[in-house]
Amino acid sequence: MVLTSEAPPRRPVSDAAPPRRRRRRSGLQRPERVAGWLFVAPVVVLLTVFLLVPILMALWVSFTSWNGQGSPFRAGVPVSGGENYARLFIEDGLTRQDFMTSIRNNLYYVLTVVPLQTVLALALALAVNQRLLRAKSFFRTAFYFPSITSSVAISVVFLFLFANSGAINGVLAWFGIDGPNWFSDPRGVLHIILNAIGLVDITNPPALLTDNELLGLPWWQWLSGPSVAMCSIICLVVWTTSGTFMLMFLAALQNIPVQLEEASLIDGASRWQYVRKVVLPMLKPTMFLVITLGLIGTWQVFDQVYVMSKGNPAKTTLTPAYLSFRTAFLDLNFGSGAAIAFVLFAIIIGMTLLQRWVMRDRDEVRRPRWFRRVRSV
Amino acid sequence: MRTSHRVMAVAFLTTAMVAGASACGSGFNDTPEQKSGPADLEILIGSSGQAETDAVQKAAAAWAEATGNTATVVPAQDLAQQLGQAFAGSNPPDVFYVDAGRFADYAKAGALLPYGKDIPDADDFYASLRDAFTFDGELYCIPKDFSTIAMQINTDLWAQAGLTDDDVPTTWDELRSAAEKLKAANITPIVIGDTRDRIGAFMVQAGGWIVSKDGTEATGDSPENLQALQYMQGLIKDGLAVYPRDIDTGWGGEAFGKQLAAITFEGNWIKGALQNDFPDVKYEVHEMPAGPKGKGTLSFTVCWGISAKTQYREQAIDFVRHMTSAEQQIKFTEAFGVMPSRASLRDEYLKQFPNDEAFIAGAAYAQGPVKAPKMDSVLSDFDAGLQQLASTDPKALLERLQDNTEAALAG
Amino acid sequence: MALDNTTADVLGAGAMVQAPAPQRRPRRLTPRQRAAKAANYAVLTFFGIIFLYPFVIQISNTFKTESDAANHPLRLIPDPFTSDSFLRIFSGTDFPLWVVNSVLVTVIATVSRVFLDSLAGYALARLRFGGRRAIFAAIIAVMAVPGVVLLIPKFLVLNQLGMYDSYSGLIIPLLADAAGVFIMKQFFESIPAGLEEAARIDGAGPFRTYWSVILPLARPALITLTILSFQGTWNEFPHTLVAVQSPGLFTLPRGLADLVGGSLGSGMQYPLKLGAALLTLIPVTIIFFIFQKRFVRGATEGAIKE
Repeated sequence: MVLTSEAPPRRPVSDAAPPRRRRRRSGLQRPERVAGWLFVAPVVVLLTVFLLVPILMALWVSFTSWNGQGSPFRAGVPVSGGENYARLFIEDGLTRQDFMTSIRNNLYYVLTVVPLQTVLALALALAVNQRLLRAKSFFRTAFYFPSITSSVAISVVFLFLFANSGAINGVLAWFGIDGPNWFSDPRGVLHIILNAIGLVDITNPPALLTDNELLGLPWWQWLSGPSVAMCSIICLVVWTTSGTFMLMFLAALQNIPVQLEEASLIDGASRWQYVRKVVLPMLKPTMFLVITLGLIGTWQVFDQVYVMSKGNPAKTTLTPAYLSFRTAFLDLNFGSGAAIAFVLFAIIIGMTLLQRWVMRDRDEVRRPRWFRRVRSV
Repeated sequence: MRTSHRVMAVAFLTTAMVAGASACGSGFNDTPEQKSGPADLEILIGSSGQAETDAVQKAAAAWAEATGNTATVVPAQDLAQQLGQAFAGSNPPDVFYVDAGRFADYAKAGALLPYGKDIPDADDFYASLRDAFTFDGELYCIPKDFSTIAMQINTDLWAQAGLTDDDVPTTWDELRSAAEKLKAANITPIVIGDTRDRIGAFMVQAGGWIVSKDGTEATGDSPENLQALQYMQGLIKDGLAVYPRDIDTGWGGEAFGKQLAAITFEGNWIKGALQNDFPDVKYEVHEMPAGPKGKGTLSFTVCWGISAKTQYREQAIDFVRHMTSAEQQIKFTEAFGVMPSRASLRDEYLKQFPNDEAFIAGAAYAQGPVKAPKMDSVLSDFDAGLQQLASTDPKALLERLQDNTEAALAG
Repeated sequence: MALDNTTADVLGAGAMVQAPAPQRRPRRLTPRQRAAKAANYAVLTFFGIIFLYPFVIQISNTFKTESDAANHPLRLIPDPFTSDSFLRIFSGTDFPLWVVNSVLVTVIATVSRVFLDSLAGYALARLRFGGRRAIFAAIIAVMAVPGVVLLIPKFLVLNQLGMYDSYSGLIIPLLADAAGVFIMKQFFESIPAGLEEAARIDGAGPFRTYWSVILPLARPALITLTILSFQGTWNEFPHTLVAVQSPGLFTLPRGLADLVGGSLGSGMQYPLKLGAALLTLIPVTIIFFIFQKRFVRGATEGAIKE
């Protein structure tokens, strides 16, 4: 709770209030009721108009093939029913292929970013949380700082770092590695690895994989891994978000009483055993939180794609969020763009529900204050 | 949630929906009323650089002063995106550039005013350019200028490999043998952009193209196209041609300017770029080599589009007529090096820029961009395939192009 | 090695302890512990460099000439040292306009959010009125809606309301946010009820109570909300993408994005772009370093929206 330094009361005061009654007393209650509605009115109006109504409008548009001219609600706008959605999943064509490509890209992105940022955040938190660490505040600040910066500004910096003759390739050159052309290399990482160990030939992939398709995309394409270009975006995002998650782990670590460490030292455990057997299990709730927040966040990647690559090279950095935007505003196909947005919505809601289910009531170690707050969300 | 609150939530939702729906769908005028009095024109251009922006603003100011109107010229950062958003909004700019590649999308969506019939001397513009902006039999807008792709040769590197003027290739075979000689002298022979907007020229030279002449049929999967792609793939696999990104550059002009390759295929815009960024490069411009079916190249052109929703129709048309007048076109040519779209200006242009003979000759046999709506994603998908041409089967690539084109043309 | 009884006991007992024990100096460090400590420092320093060095590179390259930046990106000392890029930022781009727009949008939105969110949070926490629970549930639901999904929908609404491509379209949707209401509600619930009783007895109406009695107590939360709102609206990008398209309405992130234009690593004007990005980063950085603790609290306690 964002507060002064005293510990806040354990339970929210309103819970301690008497049970609500259906009948309302008049008199003292009336101005309170009116005031209540008045106070929330501006926020409610704003959120309704700019969050709720847009969703409903977009839902409508996703069932039409509106071309972007004039209002989508006037008569004469062609209604196409579930056609836009069918084109994304069932009908064989470029729409489905592009959509599945974006799903594939985002999937690899999620599977790479979430573990990386979780592990990095945890490692940094463990390192920073050492007792008697000097400059603890400095390190914590350093790691958290990238998280508060503008994604656009950071994308500009990373465009420079990952340029063909840029800083990253310069550093790799110190180790004798010839860095790739980061932003123009569409080869998938998995493909490169398989090629390097001789399992497949990247210029002549096995016909079994290229001829058979899943949902419009050949199996060979599904197994490509993130592209080299996507890897640069992955680096950017892990670098940016690890700090926030590190803070969450730090807060959880701070709640582990010091007696535990001393007790385990008395028992003769090494530091590493202490971490593995005592700390990590106690961090499980936080870890779940970080992972599910990561899952929710990584499906929304847009800014970096827009600023750095716009889906290129060869559509390997295309993500559903950017595809939705591009389909609507560049191809003037708002119906399809809205449909893609809703599918993305469904995916993210799925992740959110997963988070709530995972973070439900557990009878484990006493949860710290902030965690209970999140649970009640 | 308790029942009462659920009911309230539903009521809330419904109210919001009704409120939302009723706020919309009202009052959209299909034919905007024309305003009388001095016009306030908003002009959106996709400028190629400061030179063009300045030139257009100057010309617009002159027109505004002469006619007593106001004209504001705004250079767009991303013309396609801004126009897309503007068309969906209720207040698009009055006059704007329309790229030939996107023309069909805008025309089909009804965003453009077909004013071609209001231009008396429309016949003075090259037929192929006019054709690029004709939809459903109507000329929608007037082309402002055009460029074609030609072959640029670095004379220093050429001489270094022991080649002479006679070796300048005029056929595909000659191109290959010249490239082999360059490679033998350790010079990267050809750098070519990895997109249909460059490689497509070879498809035209082989006698094929993505769509038929009238733009209604898909012809991607033709043997002529296959021949062209196989030729190009051969060049790449043998190390005779590279893509700009393979040598750490952004486009053919940059690679050519840095003297990393001896030959490139670019359009008029390379002149300005080389002059500004790489003034020391000595080069010549020649027509592209002819393919099995003869000469071929690609043309790129932009027209002055007028919004169908403009409230200053007459003034906008007058503005366009001023900007495409012969004197104005010559001024633009001098300012930023494009070729005038009026056929009658051809000789005068050549007098001033004799080196551009190759570019302007291309006008006779150039293929314009694909003029069919909803083709943009198909074409960028084709580009994605071309980017990996070295490791792809051209037949599969063309089949995919064919399928996608058919789907786009049908829907 | 299995956990001994001692540890298990303490695990159970220690679980009840809320506050961490005070720090104590160890009496002596074994060589192994000393090595571990050194390794720890090494790891921290390594990552510290990784996390901060890009900014160092950014700053040093901003003061280089274009060719120097393109050819020697890693060199720390520019050669020659030039502030040309800043000259060109201010004369060659619309940067000053972007700054003005950003400041305008951020200040208005932040003030509005602090006021409206705290008002609504207070009402939800303390005032009894019908539908209170429903509204709070709706707010929580709304917090789950991802921003990118709203790109097209928000455009449609702005368009319909005639607010597209105007200052109102740019600012009004940012005037309130669900996360802020959530934070304020949680905070207000922790204030003891007695104060309001006292105020009511004195005859103060709800708004008076709110304004004069409760709000001054909420200073810490308000400061946090201010900081988070400032950071959120200053860095906001997707909204500016769909709300406006005229260059005259660009904020800093939007202007910067257009300056860079999706270029795929080619292009030469690095010092200019890096310089513009640097200037964009400065305001939030300053606020961050002054109010570090609040940022940290905000991150770990409820401001989940990135």
